[in-house]
Amino acid sequence: MFLRMIAGVLLRQKGKMFMIAFTIALGASLATAMLAVMFDVGDKVNAELKTYGSNITVVPKEASVVSDLYEVEGASSVPASYLREDELGNVKTIFWAFNIVDFAPFIEAHVNANGQDVTMVGSWYNHHLSLPTGEELDAGVVSMRSWWDVVEGRWLDESVAADAEKVMVGVALADELGVSAGDSLKVSGSELSGSYEIVGVYEAGGDEDGQIYAPLDLVQELSGTEGLISSVEVSALTTPDNDLSRQAAKDPTKLTAAQYETWYCTAYVSSICYQLQEVITDSVAKAKRQVAESEGAILDKTQLLMLLITVLALVGSALGISNLITASVMERSQEIGLLKAIGAHDRAISALLLVEMIIVAIVGGAVGFAVGFGFAQIIGYTVFNSSIALSPMVIPLVVVLVIVVTLAGSIPAIRTVLRLDPAEVLHGR
Amino acid sequence: MSLLELKNVYKIYGDLHALDDVNMKIDVGEWVAIMGPSGSGKSTVMNIIGCMDSPTKGQVLLDGVDIASVSSKGLTDIRRDKIGLIFQQFHLINYLTALENVMVAQYYHSMPDEKEALEALDRVGLADRAKHLPSQLSGGEQQRVCVARALINHPELILADEPTGNLDEANEKIVLDLFRQLHDEGTTLIVVTHDAEVGAAAERVITLEYGKVTSENGDTSFGKAARKDVV
Repeated sequence: MFLRMIAGVLLRQKGKMFMIAFTIALGASLATAMLAVMFDVGDKVNAELKTYGSNITVVPKEASVVSDLYEVEGASSVPASYLREDELGNVKTIFWAFNIVDFAPFIEAHVNANGQDVTMVGSWYNHHLSLPTGEELDAGVVSMRSWWDVVEGRWLDESVAADAEKVMVGVALADELGVSAGDSLKVSGSELSGSYEIVGVYEAGGDEDGQIYAPLDLVQELSGTEGLISSVEVSALTTPDNDLSRQAAKDPTKLTAAQYETWYCTAYVSSICYQLQEVITDSVAKAKRQVAESEGAILDKTQLLMLLITVLALVGSALGISNLITASVMERSQEIGLLKAIGAHDRAISALLLVEMIIVAIVGGAVGFAVGFGFAQIIGYTVFNSSIALSPMVIPLVVVLVIVVTLAGSIPAIRTVLRLDPAEVLHGR
Repeated sequence: MSLLELKNVYKIYGDLHALDDVNMKIDVGEWVAIMGPSGSGKSTVMNIIGCMDSPTKGQVLLDGVDIASVSSKGLTDIRRDKIGLIFQQFHLINYLTALENVMVAQYYHSMPDEKEALEALDRVGLADRAKHLPSQLSGGEQQRVCVARALINHPELILADEPTGNLDEANEKIVLDLFRQLHDEGTTLIVVTHDAEVGAAAERVITLEYGKVTSENGDTSFGKAARKDVV
């Protein structure tokens, strides 16, 4: 009979129950969407920030000493020593390999181009990497210098074999030399000379506008530095710095074993730098401080903002659900009065009402969860142009929220109606 | 043998004496009508006899138990085991069928038995309407479902509050005939009404005014005479 009564309410009072389920679904969808976005916004913003370039530079130890001595970072002095190109693959073997979203090697050479001394930079453009982990990656300047504007021609394309003997020229240098895309450039390096076609002219908005960019192998051949590179730029997803990471950045050997483990296993920029140094011989990996700190600050603020919006959304939906459930239970005071009059005890009536509400909450919550996850995807594609991943935390949080809100709305209302005198209720007083 | 006895019962709300030293005795198998104008205390008596309220003072003995001193939970048990209630507004659960409305009373009493519930509906002439919802039944039919619900657990006392108040003449006759059958089977009936015709159908009429019993017609021939008229 208990089940028949539950079925009676649910099936024959569809309108009322639908309204409650709908409100719960709305609340649950809002909570799901906000929580899913909140948990994923960190990675999303981080990934977004990564499109503005690398946040870690790996240079040879000697070059690092020179730059530290003169307190300049990225000084254009010729590195006293080199890194080994064959160790580049190690970058994707560190503990935080999956957080390395992009990287590119660089080699600089001083050359003579059409009679003028210029700097020529060799690098990867869209270098395809098939990693042992199964990960496929197109790394290089095209993605790491996404803000560069190719004003003429196109980017160098490593999948086109002919592009191995072609170059790109900065807009300032192109003006100076009077060349444009399609023209040939006569380049003399310390070891080799040749004529190379210009495939594109780029505008970077910096010193690069006066340089030549060419494939890594070509510059190595011109300068006689085969198998060597002068630096690696790495773009990594990082966790904002805290006291532990700052302490570790100064000297990781001073950490306790537990601190060291926590630090090593957290994607702090300093622990990623440390791990890069471990896999690249005689290297120093340094965070581009300003970039890393700005990213951390932006991330913290974005997450705080999302947290506040989520809390407000949850409170709003909780109040709505709770009010509707309270009103719905109060509406049934006559029915409850009758059940008491024919001999139902308070516990039996409470069980009946609670089971009804929990069934409605489960249906509403499940629908709300699905819709909310859909909302999260709309937000993801609208704001970040990618999907929002479902954090495992979202499901239990939404379940707890729906149950707590439903019980919080039901229990006080049930207690109130149970306190009503059946005689008064049945006489409509 | 007396089933119910009220001894010096008072119900006082502030300065208002809703019941003022009420005494009455109702025997097993008796059909009694409690009558009186609005505000006379009929509903208060009905609530106290129906174990839905307690007197301020006095004794209410139902089957020898003083219900004035019973806890709220105990009163619920007495209602469930001994009393069948019939209301003027029927008070059927609108999302349950006629059959299920009868079975609800069985469920809270002991165990639902669909066959027995169907027999109860058959007895009130509604076997063919068993699967209908209250909204699909006429007022008279709803009241008959209410009667079936009241008698399903074979209570010692059936307490009806203005049972024909919302019915037309034809349905009033059907309900009174049902009461008559129950009375003939030995069920004790107390009907609270201000309808003279309903009162006349009873064996005995107790009249209340301003919370006091003003007359108690113990002459059963009055009720029987009236019954002949109605039949």
